[in-house]
Amino acid sequence: MTAVDNTQTSSSSRRTIELVVLVGLVTAFGIISALVRFPLEEGEKLRDVIGIIIGAGLTFIFYSFLYRDNPLFKIAENLYVGVALGYGAIITWRQSLRPEVYDPLFRAVTSEAFWHELSYRVVPIVLGILLMTRLSKKHSWLSRYSYGLMVGWGAGMGIFVVTDSYILKQLEGAIRPLQKIVTDPDVAANLSFFDQAWPVVGSLVILIGTVSVLFYFFFSVPHKRLGSGFSRVGISYLMIAFGASFGYTVMGRMSLLIGRVQFLMFEWLKIKQ
Amino acid sequence: MWYKRTIPLVIVFVIGVLAFAHNYVPYPEADDFREHMTKWFMIIGGFGLFLGAYSLLHMHVSRIRRMQPGWAYSAFVFIGAAGMIIVGLWNDGYGPLESAPSTAKTWFDWGFDYVQIPCSATIFSILAFFMASAAFRTFRARNVNAALLLVAALLVMFGRVPASESVGAWFGQQGFFPKIADLIMEFPNLAATRGILLGMSLGAISQSLRILFGIERSYMGVGD
Amino acid sequence: MATPQEQIKRMTIIRHIIYALVAAAVVLPYIVKMDMPFSASKWSKKMYEAIDKLEPGSRVLLSFDYDPAAEAELYPMSMALLRHCFKKDLIPIVMTHWPDGVGMCKKACEEAAAESPKLWGKEKISGRDFALLGFRVGGADLILNMGENLKGAFTKDFYDEPTAGMAALEGVDSLRDIDMAVDLAAGIHVQVWIAYGHDRFDFPLGAGTTAVIAPKLYPFLQTDQLVGFLGGLRGAADYELMLEQSGKATQGMQAQSVTHVLLIVMIVVANARFIVNRLRGKQEA
Repeated sequence: MTAVDNTQTSSSSRRTIELVVLVGLVTAFGIISALVRFPLEEGEKLRDVIGIIIGAGLTFIFYSFLYRDNPLFKIAENLYVGVALGYGAIITWRQSLRPEVYDPLFRAVTSEAFWHELSYRVVPIVLGILLMTRLSKKHSWLSRYSYGLMVGWGAGMGIFVVTDSYILKQLEGAIRPLQKIVTDPDVAANLSFFDQAWPVVGSLVILIGTVSVLFYFFFSVPHKRLGSGFSRVGISYLMIAFGASFGYTVMGRMSLLIGRVQFLMFEWLKIKQ
Repeated sequence: MWYKRTIPLVIVFVIGVLAFAHNYVPYPEADDFREHMTKWFMIIGGFGLFLGAYSLLHMHVSRIRRMQPGWAYSAFVFIGAAGMIIVGLWNDGYGPLESAPSTAKTWFDWGFDYVQIPCSATIFSILAFFMASAAFRTFRARNVNAALLLVAALLVMFGRVPASESVGAWFGQQGFFPKIADLIMEFPNLAATRGILLGMSLGAISQSLRILFGIERSYMGVGD
Repeated sequence: MATPQEQIKRMTIIRHIIYALVAAAVVLPYIVKMDMPFSASKWSKKMYEAIDKLEPGSRVLLSFDYDPAAEAELYPMSMALLRHCFKKDLIPIVMTHWPDGVGMCKKACEEAAAESPKLWGKEKISGRDFALLGFRVGGADLILNMGENLKGAFTKDFYDEPTAGMAALEGVDSLRDIDMAVDLAAGIHVQVWIAYGHDRFDFPLGAGTTAVIAPKLYPFLQTDQLVGFLGGLRGAADYELMLEQSGKATQGMQAQSVTHVLLIVMIVVANARFIVNRLRGKQEA
C-alpha cells in the first residue's frame, strides 16, 4: 500500500469513528433528557421542557466546534443568525414603528388628531423611507438627505458633549492633586501625615500617567532623552492597563462559560445546588 | 449634481451647527428644538433597523444565488428568520397590531428564551476556551513591558475572585490581594484609560469637524 | 526534530487538553462542595448604598442595554437590582437601547415581580409598582428626548399601556425627575448615559457592566460621573451578598475562582518553562 492509500484509509476510519461517537452522544443526550425531564413535574409546561431540551442541545452543538468545525455547528450558527434577525425585525415593528408611526396615524381617534400627528411625523417618515433608497444603485443619492441630517446632528451634538463630558470633566479629574491638599488647619490637625499625603500621591500618580500616555500617543516626533523616558513611562502605564483589561476579559469569558454550565446543570439536568 | 452632493453637505453643516449651538441658547425654544429633532431621529432610526435586517438577508440571498462555499447553510438563516417573524406576527392569536397580555408567554417569547438565548450565550462562551489556550501558548514575559502586562493581569485575575481572599486569610490578610487589584485598577489603569479616552475624544472632535466641513464624506456612500 | 505535521498534531492535543481542563474547572465546584467566602468590593458597596438610601416610592430608571450574549453576567445583576427595588418599595422604570434587550427586560421584570410576594411579601404590578417601558430606537437621541419629555419618548409601555396617567410614572416628566438611574451595559452605553444623560439632566447614575467593559469606567468613578459600579459576575455576586439573596452570581463565584487559579497556574508554568529554556539558550518549541 502507498502512503496516499494509508492516509485515505486512516481518514475514512477516523470519519467512521467520529460518526459512531456522534450517534452515541446524540442517543445519550436523548436518553438523559428523557430520563431527567419526563414525566413532567407539577407546574411544568411541555413546551417549556421541550424548549430547555432544545436549548441544551444547541449548547452542545456549539461546543462541538471545540473539537472541529462541523455541519451541525454551521446549521446552528446560521439558524441563530436568522432567529436573531427575525426577533429584531418584530421588536422594531412592535417597539418602534408601531408606536411611533402606525398607532399615531392609523389609530387616531379624530381626523383632527390624524392631521396633527401627520404634520408632526411626515418629515421623519419621509426621511425614513428615503433611507431605503440606499438599496437602489440609481436612487441611493436620496438617502443622503436622511444620512446628512443624522450625521450632521451627531457631529454637532458630539462636539459639545464630548468636550464637556469626556475632556473638560476628565481634565478636572486629572488635576485633582491641587484640590486634595488639605488647607483647613483644623481638619489637617485631625489627619495623620499618611492620610494627608496618600490622596495627593495617588492623584499625582494618575496625573503623571495620563500626561505620559497622551505624550506617547500624540508626540510622534522621535522621542529623545527626557521625552523618550517620559514616553516609556506612558508605555508602562499602558501595559499595566492592558494587563488589567486582560484579567477582566478572562473573568468575563469564564463567567459566560459558567452561565452555560449553570443552565445545563440546574435547568436541563435539574441538579439542586 | 448639486442636489445629489451639495444639498446633503449643506444639510450636514447647518444641522451640525444648530446641534452644537442650541446648547448655549438659554430659552425653552432650544429645548423644544432638541426634543423635536431627537424624536425625528427615533422615527428615522426605526426604518434604519429594517434596512440593516434587509441587508443581512440580502447578503445570504446573494450567497445562495452565487452558490458560494457553504451556501446551503444560508437557508437556515431564512428558516430561523421566517419562523420568528411568523410567530411574532401571529402573536399567539393577538396579531401584529395588538400586544399579548403581560401574563401570556407567546411562542415568540419561547423562540427568544430557548433558541436565541442558548445560541447567543454559548457562542460567546466558547471564547473562554480559546482564551485559555492562547494564554497558555503565547502569554510570555519576553521583555519588561510584557512582564508588566503579565504581572498586572495575574494580580487582577487573582484579586477579583474569592480564592484570593481565602489565600490572604491564611496569612491573616484577607483583603490583601483584592486591595492590590483595586490599586492597579484605580491608579495605573485609570490613568492610562483616561489618556486613551482623552486621545479618542480629541480624535472624535476632529472627525466631527471634518464631517461638518465636508472633508469626510463616507456617509454619502458610493456613486455621483 | 519534529515534522510540521507532528507539531500540529501535538499542538492540537495540547489545545484539547486545555479545553478539557477548563471544562473540568468550571464543573468541579458544582460537584465538590467548596466554601470560599468573599466580601463586597468598594464600588459595589457604593452602588448598593446609593440605592439603599433612597426613600420608598423613589423612581429608579434601569436601562438594560445588553443582549443574551451577556446574560450570564448581567442578568443576575438585573435580578439583584430589581429585587433590591422591590424590597425597598422603590419603583423601577425599566428600558433598553438594544432590540435584543427587550426579552431580557421582560424576563427579569416578570421573574422579579412573580417572586416578590414570596421573598418580600409584596405584590408588584406592572404600571403601578414598576414600569416596563421596553425599547425605542435612538441611543443618545432617545436619552436626550427622555431628558425633555419621558412620556413623549415612550408614549406606551411594553404592554401597550399609555404612559400618560400611569401610576408608576406619576410626577416623572423627564429624566430630571428620576431619583437614580442605573445602566447595565454590554457595550459603550454607560459612556453614552454619562455624556447625554447624567451630565445634561443631573441625576445620580450608577453602572453595571460586563467584565470586559469594567476597566474603562474607572475614570468616570473618580470624577463622580458615576456613583458606583458593578463589574462582571463578581459585581453581581457582591450585590447579591449585600442583599442577602444568594443567586446565580454567588453560585458562580467558586467556579470563577477555580478557573482563574487554573489559568494563573497554566500561565506561570508556561512562563517558568520559557525562562528556563531562555537561560539554557534554547528557543521555545
